Amino acid sequence: MGQIEFHHVTKRFDDGFEALKDVSVDFPEGSMTFLTGHSGAGKSTFLKLLLCADRPSAGQIIVNGVNVRHISARRLAHYRQHIGVVFQDHHLLHHRDVYENVALPLRVAGMRERAVARRVRASLTRVGLLAKERMFPRYLSTGEQQRVGIARAVATRPRILLADEPTGNLDPELSRDIMHVFEQVNQVGTTVIIASHDRDLIESMGLRIIELAHGNIVRDTDREADIGFE
Amino acid sequence: MASNNEAQGGRPAPATGGGRGRTKKGYPWPHRRVGLVAWWQDHLRTGRETLHFISARLGTSLLVWLLVGIALALPAGLILLQLNLAGMTADWDGRPGLSVYFELNTDAGKVAAIAQRLSERAEIEGVRVTSPEEALAEFQSHADVGDALDLLTENPLPASLRATLVPGSSLLDLELVAGLVEGAPGVSEVVVEKTWLERVIDISRVVSRLGIILGALFGVGAVLVTATSVRLAIEARLEELRVLKLVGATDRQIRRPFMYFGALYGLGGGLVAAMLISLCLVAIETPVSNLLGSYGRDLETPGFDPTFLSGLLLVGAFLGVSGALLAARQRLKDLEIL
Repeated sequence: MGQIEFHHVTKRFDDGFEALKDVSVDFPEGSMTFLTGHSGAGKSTFLKLLLCADRPSAGQIIVNGVNVRHISARRLAHYRQHIGVVFQDHHLLHHRDVYENVALPLRVAGMRERAVARRVRASLTRVGLLAKERMFPRYLSTGEQQRVGIARAVATRPRILLADEPTGNLDPELSRDIMHVFEQVNQVGTTVIIASHDRDLIESMGLRIIELAHGNIVRDTDREADIGFE
Repeated sequence: MASNNEAQGGRPAPATGGGRGRTKKGYPWPHRRVGLVAWWQDHLRTGRETLHFISARLGTSLLVWLLVGIALALPAGLILLQLNLAGMTADWDGRPGLSVYFELNTDAGKVAAIAQRLSERAEIEGVRVTSPEEALAEFQSHADVGDALDLLTENPLPASLRATLVPGSSLLDLELVAGLVEGAPGVSEVVVEKTWLERVIDISRVVSRLGIILGALFGVGAVLVTATSVRLAIEARLEELRVLKLVGATDRQIRRPFMYFGALYGLGGGLVAAMLISLCLVAIETPVSNLLGSYGRDLETPGFDPTFLSGLLLVGAFLGVSGALLAARQRLKDLEIL
């Protein structure tokens, strides 16, 4: 049994478009997986459902043995405190400096300021940006902004880390740096799921790849031997 | 301090979990309560950030304070006026009374009987009967009619009596007693005498009701003004709110800064209202002193004291927070995080 399980999950929007069609897949605890596919394949919808930012039209999503549909609205916030999220466009707050951006989820989680400072610095050290903790995001390069986003996502030491096209705007070298950070996070036990369409990068990582096309899983490297994908 | 796990190079303790405890039904991970110190630190930081936000938009904030202040000042002024009117009448030692006028040539026995009935009532302190002859004599002594009355063949004035009520009696008692003699044989007219202070009591009641009605209307106005201002503040920080929701902020945490906005707008409005009332008191001081002086009274403003001012600030803060809550609930209800 995986830490995250999708059982026959379908997501149909009001206009009838099906972003995911009867998807069943599981992710063991501490695994690192790439979710790939063309634009509109359903990668972002997959992550949104896992984050409970949207509800599936059919099927079940089980996290740690609990159907997330049954998490009350009040507890949904606490559920999200255990999930780190990284976006292609960073979602950084530009009127707050790097330190404040990374501190945000820690304060939300109710940590004392002293512990917040310790975690923020540890997180910034991990992404190599401790020296820039008092700088504002607009003065950082795109790669540095992405690393701040990762530092914020991992500062709470989440159980699950979701990344949606985290290397979308970065050159190959920077992309590898970012992937290295994700590997470090994964090594301490966090389940990492990265949505990316950068085929060269993900093939070179030698990790599990799940490919989506038109809402269906068309390839899962963990199951190729079993069910003969490709 | 790092957990043992972390120190040994294993998985560090999650920020919110404190290790793997019992998983609750319907929730994947154990939930940890927020400590008091962290809660207090969060409130301090929120307060500081709210002050910074308001001071950075001082022009808009002043306008909001003025609008809320005006909305509070009118009903608060009326309440203050009512308090003063009530204060003026509270120490009133005047005696309400009633006069009974009889028909011409009413038998003196009937007049005496009614006087007797009245004087037996507990509410009546005294009854003074004036016969037609006494009335004529009194009239002659006061009016400059000279010999004109000598030309009359008979006395045109009726007998009358005046009853005064015991101290502490109300106008209701007076009207009750009047009802007893109205319609009695020989009685022509019963006049309930109200002094100017009695009218002040009536005015005070009108002012009180008006204060309640205006207070409710302007209170709603203050709530809407604050709600609109907070709504603008929410719109200005929408991206931040999305990020907060994304990282797991509860609705209460997301609403918190806006509650502070509302409270500060309301408190500021209360202060402005207090200043406006002070200015009004200064402006009307001279004419009101003159008016009261003609009734032998000095101008006092009981009620405009620290208790009243604290109440004004508290009501302002309450209305401000209510407005903020209204705006936050409306806007944040369906906030999409992605």
